[in-house]
Amino acid sequence: MQNLVRMLIAAAALALLASCAATGENTGQDQTATGVPDATAQPGVTAQPEQEVYSYPYGQAPSLDTYDTFDTSGGSATAHAGGQSGQAVTGPSGGMASADRIVYFSYDSTNIVPESRTIIENNARSLAKNPQMITQLEGHTDERGSREYNIALGERRANAVRQTMIAMGVSPQQIRVVSFGEERPAAAGHDERSYALNRRVEIIY
Amino acid sequence: MKFFLKILVLTVWWLSLGAAHAQITLDITKGVEGSGIPIAIAPFGGSAPENIAGIVAADLKQTGKFAPQPPQVRADYAVVGQAAPGGSRGYIVQFQLTGAQGGQLLNLSFDVPANQLRAVAHRISDLIYEKLTNEKGLAGTRIAYVALGRGVYYLVVSDADGHNPQVILRSSQPIMSPSWSPDGSKLAYVSFEGRRAQIIVQDVYTGARRSVSAAPGINGAPSWSPDGRRLVFTLSQDGNPEIYALDLASQYPTRLTSSSSIDTEAVWLPDGSIVFTSDRGGSPQLYRIGPGGGSPQRLTFQGNYNARPTVSPDGRYIAMVHQRGGRFYIAVLDLKTRQFRVLTSGGLDESPSFAPNGKTIIYSNGRGVATVSVDGGASREIALRGNARDAAWAPYGR
Repeated sequence: MQNLVRMLIAAAALALLASCAATGENTGQDQTATGVPDATAQPGVTAQPEQEVYSYPYGQAPSLDTYDTFDTSGGSATAHAGGQSGQAVTGPSGGMASADRIVYFSYDSTNIVPESRTIIENNARSLAKNPQMITQLEGHTDERGSREYNIALGERRANAVRQTMIAMGVSPQQIRVVSFGEERPAAAGHDERSYALNRRVEIIY
Repeated sequence: MKFFLKILVLTVWWLSLGAAHAQITLDITKGVEGSGIPIAIAPFGGSAPENIAGIVAADLKQTGKFAPQPPQVRADYAVVGQAAPGGSRGYIVQFQLTGAQGGQLLNLSFDVPANQLRAVAHRISDLIYEKLTNEKGLAGTRIAYVALGRGVYYLVVSDADGHNPQVILRSSQPIMSPSWSPDGSKLAYVSFEGRRAQIIVQDVYTGARRSVSAAPGINGAPSWSPDGRRLVFTLSQDGNPEIYALDLASQYPTRLTSSSSIDTEAVWLPDGSIVFTSDRGGSPQLYRIGPGGGSPQRLTFQGNYNARPTVSPDGRYIAMVHQRGGRFYIAVLDLKTRQFRVLTSGGLDESPSFAPNGKTIIYSNGRGVATVSVDGGASREIALRGNARDAAWAPYGR
């Protein structure tokens, strides 16, 4: 009985896949180059060379092909990713800082734990020695709670690292602070292990 | 076995309607829900390339107020129709809505090109919905949302049912918090291009963009004033997050809050006052200030986390993210009765946005985007590609 129901669901899923494929054929392929580079996009202080921002008038993006490049295992509205273990997210310019440049935090906390002090100290020392050096402190949170409120919490974490660095002799002019909130997770799971990896400040040069 | 046959019949019926997308697949596993007004919908005659009856059935089911049935099932209402080549523009679509007694409630026809058949199906859904509920329908509306796939962020505008997704922005850095202008022609949003935050206003139809704020620190949570002339948003340029209002003509931002705590996520009420999230009392709660700022009045007292307000178009309800037992849900506060209700049960629910008729809220649930009725009832996922979140329901069209 249950198997039959499952087969029917599978049949429906196949039909879904078939209809998706059919749609894809109609929309032209590999037209990523038709995107109009946005003239108003301002390259930021630490813009990556592969940085890309394209805006399109409604209805004129090479939409389905561009937008169909998804990992269907974690993304579709029907797939429940709960309980998955953490998986590193590597975006095009999303290279993560190495371990000696990441400060981790407890839940709902901006406290710098003793282990992190060493990491901050090492980075602060080289910044203080090289006053022309600039760092960007990037604050992050786990996914729980409101996105924009998490931006504010991520900034608090980055500011906690900033204050510690300044106390260690780094000039405020050498430090920029950006909060990504929960928008750039280091681990994609919905579990405590992933959350612990995501509550962090990355020290970027 | 009888149960299985019922499911088989229903499945064949749904598939015959061509409604083979994920939303419907989910519904098959649940069978037919008992709630909602039974309405029998027959496959449309003719040979149109879109399955009008299937779209109408899905639209009506999504409202939560109707239970679409196969045509042979006895129901309070019945829809029959025809969609065939003809007319001056390509297709003639005709339909009738009848009551249980056989009385005719609607009888209309449309002359449309092939690429408008889906839009006509939504129009029919809204006409039926409006006739039987005396409320404005949502099938013809659109949503904007952010989708993430393989490290690329997309700002997408789609029909309210998730079909017809149109990318209007693609970026290798995060995109957040889309907010529609009241006329539905522009979206304000946060972009991290250049690896820092700025607030962009983009014309949906031309794709033209304007950076309206790129201050040091946070540039977040933009929201339009009811007259479309101003934006409120969050800046942390003075050391911690504060609410600012920007006159889009003069380009000069005015600071509206002043505290050493987090003030963010401001939205306008129709009367010009502003509701925002602040942790000035020790935990995030919603506060209200006048159009020019002033002393904030606390609005929420339930639990230790109420954030990300969104206001119903009539200003009566405020929906928000509410934490209970370490999990996050969408709750709604009735400003008239002060009644506070939790509407969802997901645990990772966030980013609520009111539909333009004020009856439905769209929100993210950690896996994708779903809708829930303000009156309560089942939440329904919308099948969207990618890791979709941060949906904003567009106002009624121009």
